[in-house]
Formats: sequence, C-alpha cells, structure tokens
Amino acid sequence: MIESIKDSPLYPIANPKSIAIFGASNKVTTMGTGLLGSILDLGFEGEIYPIHPQEDQVLNLKAYRSVLDLPTVPDVALIVLPTRIVSETMDACGRKGIKHAIVISGGFKEVGNEGVTLEKELVAVANKHGIRFLGPNCIGVTTPRHKLNTTFMTYEGAPGFIGMASQSGSFVTQMFNYLSRHALGFSTAFSVGNEANIDIVDCLEYLSACPDTKVIALYIEGIRRGRAFVETARSIVPKKPIVAHYVGGSETGRRAGLSHTGALAGPDRLYDGMFRQSGIIRAQSIIELFDICWMLGSLHGDAGRRVVIQTHSGGPGAEAADACGRSGLELPSLSSETIKKLSPLIPHTASIGNPVDFTFGKNLMDYFSTIPEVLLEEKNADVLLYYFSMPNRTLERMLKHMGVPSDEIAALAPELLDAQCEAIINLVETGHKPFVGYTFQSIYDKLVRRLVERGIPIFQGPQRAVRVIQAAFQYTQLRDKILSAVSQE
Amino acid sequence: MTLKKDKQADDLIRSALKREQRALSEYESKKLLSLYGIPVTREQLSRSAGEAVSAAAEIGFPVVLKASSPELMHKSEHGSIELNLRSEGDVREAYGRIVGSVELELDGVLVQEMVPGQRELVIGLTRDPQFGPCVMLGIGGTMTEVFQDTVFRMAPFDMTEANDMTEELRFKKILGAFRGQKPVDMDTLCRALIAVGQIGLELEAVSELDINPLIIMPEGRVKAVDALVVLK
Repeated sequence: MIESIKDSPLYPIANPKSIAIFGASNKVTTMGTGLLGSILDLGFEGEIYPIHPQEDQVLNLKAYRSVLDLPTVPDVALIVLPTRIVSETMDACGRKGIKHAIVISGGFKEVGNEGVTLEKELVAVANKHGIRFLGPNCIGVTTPRHKLNTTFMTYEGAPGFIGMASQSGSFVTQMFNYLSRHALGFSTAFSVGNEANIDIVDCLEYLSACPDTKVIALYIEGIRRGRAFVETARSIVPKKPIVAHYVGGSETGRRAGLSHTGALAGPDRLYDGMFRQSGIIRAQSIIELFDICWMLGSLHGDAGRRVVIQTHSGGPGAEAADACGRSGLELPSLSSETIKKLSPLIPHTASIGNPVDFTFGKNLMDYFSTIPEVLLEEKNADVLLYYFSMPNRTLERMLKHMGVPSDEIAALAPELLDAQCEAIINLVETGHKPFVGYTFQSIYDKLVRRLVERGIPIFQGPQRAVRVIQAAFQYTQLRDKILSAVSQE
Repeated sequence: MTLKKDKQADDLIRSALKREQRALSEYESKKLLSLYGIPVTREQLSRSAGEAVSAAAEIGFPVVLKASSPELMHKSEHGSIELNLRSEGDVREAYGRIVGSVELELDGVLVQEMVPGQRELVIGLTRDPQFGPCVMLGIGGTMTEVFQDTVFRMAPFDMTEANDMTEELRFKKILGAFRGQKPVDMDTLCRALIAVGQIGLELEAVSELDINPLIIMPEGRVKAVDALVVLK
C-alpha cells in the first residue's frame, strides 16, 4: 500500500496542474475536441496545452506544433489520437520528460490481433521512459473538486464522496446526471480501459488514500491482478467500504476440468467468494451499486440487523416489514421504555409495535421530531427505517381545511417544511444510529428533495431501502471479520 | 508444516508422475490428504480376495470395496463400488464382482470402513489464472452439481475466513444439529479447508483436487470418504 496519496501514480493524473492534449482541434466533431470542450466546460484551472501539427490556436487556446515545444513539462498527457500514432506520441512525451498519461484512443488489445501487438509496443515505450498511464481504450478521469473532467460528457452536479474505478467508461460519464439527481457525486472516478499499465488495484490504493472518498465503487468485468486485488481490498475495508458490481465472464467460459471443483468454479461463484474474502459488498446492478454507496457514505454509526420501522400508513409499513423479513433483517419488539415514551404521542387508533404506525396523529410535528427521536434511542434496534409521504399539496390543503387563510398558508407551508426538514436533519446528525428513508414520492418532492440535498438517504420504495440496510450490516460484519483476522496475527 | 510431510508428499507425487499418472488413485489421494491432517477413511489396498477379507476383519464390518486405479476418476459411474459389506462372504463376492466388471488395470481393491452419515460435503481445489489456488466448499455427494451450493476462497486464509465460508453456504443448516445428529466439528472442517489451500500453495504439481464426499457423521466428526487429486 502507498503511504500517501501523492505516492500514487494516479495522483498527477487525477489532480494535474497542467495538461498536454493530443487530438483536440477546431473541428468540433472529433473526440479530442469534445474532451477539451468538456475540460473547459468544468472550468479547469490549470494550464492546458493543445498539441496540433497545423493549428496556432485550438478552441482559443495557444496550440503547439510539438510537445517538445512546450514551455514547461506538463503533469499529464491526454492522448486522443488514431491508434497508429499513439506510441510515437508517447515516445515524444517521454522525451519531453512527461511521466503520466491518459490514453483515450482505442484499437489496442480489445480488438485482438494487431491491436495486441500495438498495446505491447505502447507499454514498452512507456516503460522505457518510466511513464505511468491510464488506458488505452478508456474515457479518462473526473475529479470534480479539482475541476477536471477528461470525459466526453459534461460533469453535472457537485463533487461527492463516491470514488469509482470502472472497467466501463459509460458507468463514469453516463452516471453524472443520475448521481446529481440524487445529490450524489464523484470524488474521483477512473475509467481504466485496458489496464495496460495502471489497473484497478492502483485505483483502489489511490481511492483508499483519497480524503474526499468515503466509499469506493467498482464496476468489474474481470480482475487481472487477483491476489493483489484481494490483499489490497482487505487492507482498505477496515477504514472504507468497497462496493462492486461484477458482470461476469459467462458460465460457458469456465475451464473444463477433470474434477467436480473445476466444473463448479464458474467465474460468478468464484467472484462471489473473492469479494466476500476481500470484504467487498457485491451489488447486483449499477443502480444498486450507487444505492449502497449512498447509504454507506451517509452512515451515522454502524448498521446492525435489527430494524425499527416508522410509518403513518399500514400498507407501506407492512411492505417494509415484509422486505426486512425476506432480507434476513429482524424487527425487534419495542422496549417498555420506548412504549412508555410513545404512548402519549400516538393516537389510540394507531399501533405501538414494530412497525410503529402513527396513522393520523394529534400533532403532525411529532412524526418528524419526537417519535423518531424516541425510536433512534430504542436499545433493541440498530437502524431506523422511516416512511416519508406528505406531498406539499396535501399539507397545504390540510392547512386550508383547518381554517388557515390562504395568504397565511403561503407563508406557513414553507415554514412547516423547514421545521420538518430541520427536525429530521438534527436527529440524524446528532444520532448514533443509521437513519434510512423510503418513499413513493418523487425525488423532487419538496421535503424529500431538501433532505436528500442535505445528505439524508431516501430510497424509492422499501425494498431498495432494505437492501441498503442489509448491505450496511454486511459491511459491519465484513469489516469486523477482517479486523478480527488482523488482531489474531 | 514439517519438513517430513513435505518430503513425503513430494515423493508421493513424484512417483505418480514417474508412472505417468494423470491423477493420484483414491488410495494415494487420501494418503496425501492425511499428510495434511485431513481425516480420511481407514482403508487398505488389497490384491486378492483373501487380503480383502483380512483387511475387512482388521478395519471392522461393515466395509466398502472400491476398485483402485489412477485411471478411474468417477467410480460410481463405473459400477466399481460395493457398499455396506457385512461379512467375509460379502467381501469375497464383492471382490470378485469388482475385478470381473472393471476393464481397467487395477492397482488393487480398496477395503475401507463404511462411514455412517447422510450429510455430505465437497471440498475442492481449483487454480484460477488470476487468483491462484482457490478452495471450494459445497454441498457434496451425488447431488453436488444439482444443488450447486458452493463457495470459494483464495488460499491462504485463516480460521475466521474458513468459518465465513460455511456461513456463506445457502444450505448451511445441514452443518448444525440435524434430525438427531450433532452439529459438525467446525474446527476440523475449517482446518481441512485451510489444509487444502496449503496443498495448492505448496504442491505445484497438483492441478485440481476433490474431496467428495466429506461425510459429516452423526456425532459431528468429518471424514474424507472419496478423494481425487488431479496432476498437471
């Protein structure tokens, strides 16, 4: 493992002060121009040096005929050129003294035959100059805090806490919008491409040392340095959770063996074991990958298996309870202290059990403050699963029926919203137990949106919420397993 | 790991390779396993009906007879096993049937104790190009490939990890108390898993390995009842 993030070959790649870009021109339809446009769009604050054989200016930046003409040695070379001239460009970069590169260009190992030879050549050239590089056949890196985004798509939203390494570039760039919709974002995301030089294990080391990364997300189609991968992950998991979505080699690709074991060692089962041994939580889809990252990155305290559910409607409560049961989570009985504290708050039509069903309360604010406060203190439970459903229009209508004049409603409704929102945030932030919300309202519902933007995880439907609780509990178990193994050494 | 065991294991494999075997016979496979501390059936290799009878008397009835040859990898499919033999007469007849029905050249007929127990596990070793030697634990016996309940770990690993393998089985309940039978001797089971990983790390010539079944006896002890070590 590296001592400091600055020891990682990915540090200058993710946080360059200057970039030389090969392949950008004034022709807007080329990939290279697109990438430069994306870099400019996010407002990269370092130096950008377009290298172009004919142009004097590229997108209003001074262009250079050769990398050797540059006034300084840039931190990183971004190469978006036709395959056949990538190696010679890398060689020129080496002669200039550049030590880090991102090779976007494809046409290497992934196409077989001649591509394999070209990739070997590229690696040899890089090795000759001691250059570390990401790719080829990748879309590069995005570090929104550093205002760097070398991918084709414009970065959306704010920087976040998810550090990602992906064997598909799409799951970096095409997730920008999805993440920003959930008020999530990347700390740094790497598209690793063919991993000819820098691989997933290097990314793990970088993200482990990255202070802005709270949780590491991986999209994997195949691991190359298997043994190093497991050992590196095990050293990270006690400090930081890792979640992986693996889309495997097909079961038909398994090696024919003479033994039962050989026949049963299909890649999917093998990877299940390798992830569990590594302490990595395996997600079943990309959406689930980011759900789990969301939960783990917003966790207050350790998750356990005992869940208490708060609802004001029977169906959504029963649905959540059912989902818990199917996922191996427990719904403990409430302690007598909790029941005593809740009795004055809950109407006689309601039930004080688990789920705690508020139905229609005496004081609406109890649902947002006093009741969850009592439940977060429940000694029999590890997690509070909380149902959100009060669309703003309903709230306004209720106020109207209560006889509040409409001009006052206009003022009162936002105040109520504020009070509800602050009450929940205060509880979550001062509490020592995980709080997970679920709703059938839109993520753009006023209350939901505000809470989500303040870092409260609220999932669409109880099944997704329950799945992330299960994953967070699994993280506690995996982390403790590795820690206990370490303490035995 | 003692030096002596390494040497014996090496010798066992070297002489098999010298004879151009693709695999160790069941008898040799179990010798290798017991060098690594994995409990195996008490057994003797017999080369005549008379030898089989006296082996059976020594081991104690009931016994099982199996054709022994490194060429024979999946015995139950060849009609070369005779189970639950309770007398000298049974053993003598079974010996004749095996020698008569198996067309391969045999190194003998294996006489082994009949291990009681309905719970069967499989432990295996596979070599993955990226992860190296990996150990498998699964629900074993003839239904192994029906249930496909298997878990893997990369060798080496410790007792905590071995324990976690058992936790990961979908049908892990059969390891607990089950229809009047005691829970599995977890310590020995975990040590066996670790030992198979050690074989993978120490013996390059072993390409794959199956212990199937590893029977969980009613009182919880485990024993390797059949084993196959495939050589490179």
